[in-house]
Amino acid sequence: MAHGAPASEIDLQPLRTILEDRYNPENYQDSLELIVQACQEAQHLYGYVPKAATEAIAEHLGVSTNRIFGLLTFYADFLTDEPGEHTMLLCHGTACYVGGSQKLVDHLDLRYDVTSGKTTRDGTLTVQIVNGCLGVCDLAPVAQLDHHDYCGHLTVESFEGLMETLRSESKAATGEDSDETD
Amino acid sequence: MRLTNQEAFEKYASEAHERWTSKFGGDRWVINVGISECSKAKGALDTWSNLQLHLDNSGLDYELHQVGCAGWCFAEPFIEVIAPDSPGIVFQNVVTDLVPELVQAFKSGDFPVEHAMGVRGDESFKGIAPLNEHPFLKGQHRLLFKRAGEIDPDSIEEYIANGGYAGFVKALLEMTPEEIVHEVKESNVRGRGGAGFPAGIKWESGRRTQAWPKYVVANSHEGEPNVFKDRRLIESDPHLVLEGLMIACVALETPHGYNYIGGEHVLALARFQHAVDQAYELGLLGDNVLGTGKSFHMRVRSGGGAYICGEGSALMYAIMGERGQPRTKPPRSVEEGVWRRPTVLNNTETYAAVPSIITNGGSWYASIGTEQSKGTKLVTIQGPVARIGVAEVDMGYSLRSLIEDIYGGAKEGYTLKGIQMGGVSAGPLRMDQLDVGIDFESLEEVGAMLGSGGFVAFDESICAVDFARYLTQFNRYESCAKCTPCRLGNKALLEIVDKVRNGQSPNDVAALIEATSENIIDLSLCGLGQVAPMPLLGMMKAFPDEFEAHFRDGTCPQGQCPVSQPRLRLEPVAAD
Ligand SMILES: Cc1cc2nc3c(=O)[nH]c(=O)nc-3n(C[C@H](O)[C@H](O)[C@H](O)COP(=O)(O)O)c2cc1C
Ligand code: SF4
Ligand code: FES
Repeated sequence: MAHGAPASEIDLQPLRTILEDRYNPENYQDSLELIVQACQEAQHLYGYVPKAATEAIAEHLGVSTNRIFGLLTFYADFLTDEPGEHTMLLCHGTACYVGGSQKLVDHLDLRYDVTSGKTTRDGTLTVQIVNGCLGVCDLAPVAQLDHHDYCGHLTVESFEGLMETLRSESKAATGEDSDETD
Repeated sequence: MRLTNQEAFEKYASEAHERWTSKFGGDRWVINVGISECSKAKGALDTWSNLQLHLDNSGLDYELHQVGCAGWCFAEPFIEVIAPDSPGIVFQNVVTDLVPELVQAFKSGDFPVEHAMGVRGDESFKGIAPLNEHPFLKGQHRLLFKRAGEIDPDSIEEYIANGGYAGFVKALLEMTPEEIVHEVKESNVRGRGGAGFPAGIKWESGRRTQAWPKYVVANSHEGEPNVFKDRRLIESDPHLVLEGLMIACVALETPHGYNYIGGEHVLALARFQHAVDQAYELGLLGDNVLGTGKSFHMRVRSGGGAYICGEGSALMYAIMGERGQPRTKPPRSVEEGVWRRPTVLNNTETYAAVPSIITNGGSWYASIGTEQSKGTKLVTIQGPVARIGVAEVDMGYSLRSLIEDIYGGAKEGYTLKGIQMGGVSAGPLRMDQLDVGIDFESLEEVGAMLGSGGFVAFDESICAVDFARYLTQFNRYESCAKCTPCRLGNKALLEIVDKVRNGQSPNDVAALIEATSENIIDLSLCGLGQVAPMPLLGMMKAFPDEFEAHFRDGTCPQGQCPVSQPRLRLEPVAAD
């Protein structure tokens, strides 16, 4: 999954292909029923729902972009701004609360000025705080990184360790501060 | 392959059954790996590929299969090994590092007891005790979870081989819609989504309404923070839920079925959609099903990150591509639901109970459980207990036994303080109050709530005021903001609790909380607002001393609230 493709580089073709293959409403009711899922496809492809994708969906389904924005802002799962390099779903369900997720939520707010849906200032991480349960309470408090890796039994310290790794990885990738000093 | 009549179905079923039984008992090793959202989180996919690698090298003749979750989260990742001439043996916590050792042992005919969870059947095998005697399973009665962890959830053939779709075929070909509704009424299965309304009566009202088309909808939204049963059920046995929905379509004489699944439940969504596709391929969904001339269609819809979309009317607006906000009732959804047409909405688990009610009869189902709460209930636990998982017990089962025996009591190093019941909609029970049956009436009597069956154990380190704040904050955040008492009332309530946590309780704060709560409860439009203050009120009732310490002395005995923490402000990191 591509994460945080910048708005200028959005390639709408993959989205259009999916829409043409699988989103063929028979009537206006069907169109309305399909909006949210079409947006989920876009978020899956681009890591968020860019404006251009919204317009493509609106055009394909024959609905207004207005209506789509109304839904995107209602459902907390959707990101409408370009996310950072990594995306984290931080579980704040009851098991995770009992295990201490409130401390992580507070830490993110105090240390990084990050609330749900926001990105750290250096662009490393976008955090979505999930109020429902992620369903892996055995690992509470838990977060899912980039939609596949789980980080369980999180503490503020282990979270900071993770941040450190993510930051150094991105520095290595961009060549800054690289270990190879030849 | 499309099955075109009853005979074809029965032939397919008996062949499937034969293939299923011949899968075991040959010279081949059959190895099942549980693949579910929670086992994946614990590395089951790595276990899978490492197993493949080592089994290939071992020279054993083997087959590797995927099965669903069996509800034992604490034992994930698990594998089941069916060696030639041996019963199935379940091994727990088979992380990838354990694989070489296990495969080596299997090769030399050993089954390491220390990693085994149990053996299928009633007798011990090579020193491994029967699975049914494992404390987690001993008190359970698995009707809905019968096949969970044993069949491949992506295989309609394995479902049918184990009795699947027999209920649908019977309902479709041998019963009138009235008879179906009669059996469901007779079973007295009550809604598993929280309110406990009898499903049969709902279906009957749905039949009585004269407007077309009608819709049958499953509520698999499961956005509560305290429960994970519906998604596990779908991940393990998606066809069971689908079959229940299809039977409801037959009863309502409508071709239109829906399942609305929370967008966060990625694997459940994929598996359910796959189940639907398979049912179409086999001709159990589509037009002219089994030669009856009747059509049945199933749509999967989803939305994510809005708890309120689980509320019936909000869910229907969500399906219709609107913001999921509740509306005033009446009209009830059996009169005006999806696309303003009669709609029967039930919880996932409610539908899952239906196939066996049809095959075994309503009175059979009604013989399980208590006087007024029938059947079995899926329950989940969260928090510091020894064994986290999904359990299925008869209605009326002792809550204490559930917590202490099935879930194994407190995890090592923790002392439990109470169990939060009914999630974000009710209060807790203290550990001295657990001698009560798990059913709608008994729990209501003691001021708790069965709700959807998600219980949360919390330990002595948790401050009751802080916990109440968390639950209140959840409801405030998830309020859809349509009506003022809920939108502003919960905000006010949260502000009061925050003052208390900061050691700045206003005068007569208990009365203030009660009065504010009363307004929210009485004046809110939907079920969210109407119960939003209950967790706070319940906590106050269960732990009055703790609240009193905050109110009167401005202290937090647990040291968890801001009042007892040093005022430290971390500097935000500078921009790069
Ligand atoms: C705020 C709110 C959230 C709800 N969430 C769910 C849910 O996630 N799943 C569910 O089945 N029922 C949920 N319900 C209950 C539904 O409104 C409805 O009663 C239920 O789906 C009916 O099915 P049942 O009779 O089989 O329980 C919720 C209710 C409210 C007020
Ligand atoms: S009670 Fe709350 S959630 Fe329900 S309609 Fe009113 S504002 Fe929305
Ligand atoms: S509450 Fe966080 S995973 Fe269940």
